[in-house]
Amino acid sequence: MDTKNERSRRDFLGLTGKAGLSTLVASAAGINLGVIDLVHAGSKKVTPFRMAMISDSHLYSQDGHKFDLQLEDAVAQVNALEIQPDFVLYGGDIAQNGTEDQLAKGKKILANLKPKMMVIPGEHDWYLDMGAAWRGMFGKDYWSFDHKGVHFIGFNSILVKDFWTEKGLTNKQRMEAMEMLEGPIGGLWGIQAEQLEWLKKDVAKLSPDTPVVTFSHSPLWDYYPRWNFQTSDAPEIRKILSKFVNVTSFHGHVHQTIYNKIGNMTSIGAMSTSWPWPYPPVNVKYPESQQYRADPGNEQDGMGTLQASFSPNGGKAQHLPFADSLTPFLKNGIKI
Amino acid sequence: MTTKNILKSLTGSILLTIATSAVFFQASAREPFTKEELKAQEKKLLVAVEEGYNLWHGSNPTMQNNGLACGNCHPDAAASNPQTFPKYHTAFDRVVTWREMVNWCIQNPQGGKVLDVGGPEMLAIEAYAFNLHRGLPIEPGLASRQTKPIKVDYGKGFPSKPSGIGFDTK
Repeated sequence: MDTKNERSRRDFLGLTGKAGLSTLVASAAGINLGVIDLVHAGSKKVTPFRMAMISDSHLYSQDGHKFDLQLEDAVAQVNALEIQPDFVLYGGDIAQNGTEDQLAKGKKILANLKPKMMVIPGEHDWYLDMGAAWRGMFGKDYWSFDHKGVHFIGFNSILVKDFWTEKGLTNKQRMEAMEMLEGPIGGLWGIQAEQLEWLKKDVAKLSPDTPVVTFSHSPLWDYYPRWNFQTSDAPEIRKILSKFVNVTSFHGHVHQTIYNKIGNMTSIGAMSTSWPWPYPPVNVKYPESQQYRADPGNEQDGMGTLQASFSPNGGKAQHLPFADSLTPFLKNGIKI
Repeated sequence: MTTKNILKSLTGSILLTIATSAVFFQASAREPFTKEELKAQEKKLLVAVEEGYNLWHGSNPTMQNNGLACGNCHPDAAASNPQTFPKYHTAFDRVVTWREMVNWCIQNPQGGKVLDVGGPEMLAIEAYAFNLHRGLPIEPGLASRQTKPIKVDYGKGFPSKPSGIGFDTK
């Protein structure tokens, strides 16, 4: 029996766009869908603003690939936000195989964003040429800036020690080794010594009541190391940032909604725009922050973008799924 | 001899017979396979599992037209849930086997050509995914739940020839 889905992808959008649209409308009407309160992110220094996040588009070289269209949907979703974000953070893994054409395609699609964009790399962007093409297109791979009273920090969190020279691997073999999610051949990654030193200096003069927001491809906590759902030097990062009243960490890589809180750091994982990953076999502190299992027959399910607002009274992070896959916990929000 | 004694004697004889046959059976029994035979069987199984692992990670290009492999969405065969089949599938509107589900994934998200349901490649894929799901209870059912994920401690999840390039071979 032929079971090929004859409905086109755009039909899917028509079918499932309803859920996304209702989310946006309801949000505008003041009903919190997919909202996580960042109440401690507030500070009298903060002038209200919003940001958005797009992550993990995993573009292939093929023209008209469905992931291109899904990234376009993400851009359209952010551009359609009634209250526009001041900037958009791209959370890494623009490309699937790290080739220049894939990165260039991503850059072209993301250029359609109305707000300006900040980018950090993912492992899929990096290991073909050790970030040469990526840096050529997007600049420095770690950075910080202050915006309306909040200090933002972007990390390159996917750096592993050289495992390829001694083995005599080609660039492509190195890339393929890093593309494997399970049993990572390159081992556990992190931001490494240079960025740790830079971070110490970067935050040295900030007062503890400054809200700090970090961006990294991988989570800054030990979620599931086998799939590199971790950053090896996260404990050091958290220690350096421990003087602050509130730190919020946004990350990609996990292709799923996930939430955690360690000390002063609230951690929020963004959905991908390419495909959702199953939850790994670990018990998490906040199981209610796991989205519903995606319907494989619905090519929009389990993916989306994210927006966050910041004000003197606190902040909120809101997942914006393409199709509605959020639990009541994620829809109604939580106090943190 | 009273009836009671007859019964007692009869019971004794039956028990003796059972005991004797058990001893006889035990004496004549042998393991169904020798250690060498079992080793050879295990080797053949692992050849299929390894081939399944490779197919799962994109070794047959006809299984896709967009670069996607099973492993993109199902690392460590997670959420492929072979232990929950046969089960109802919305796209078919009927109960399907796991092999039919694999072909559905190949044809739809991966845009590829379906495999022969009874062929060696499907068998290999099944060998890999089922192997990783060892020990999970068989729970044929509905598709709605977030199913129990599988834990893989190291390597590929099964004994395999080390690649010699690091972490995966531990």
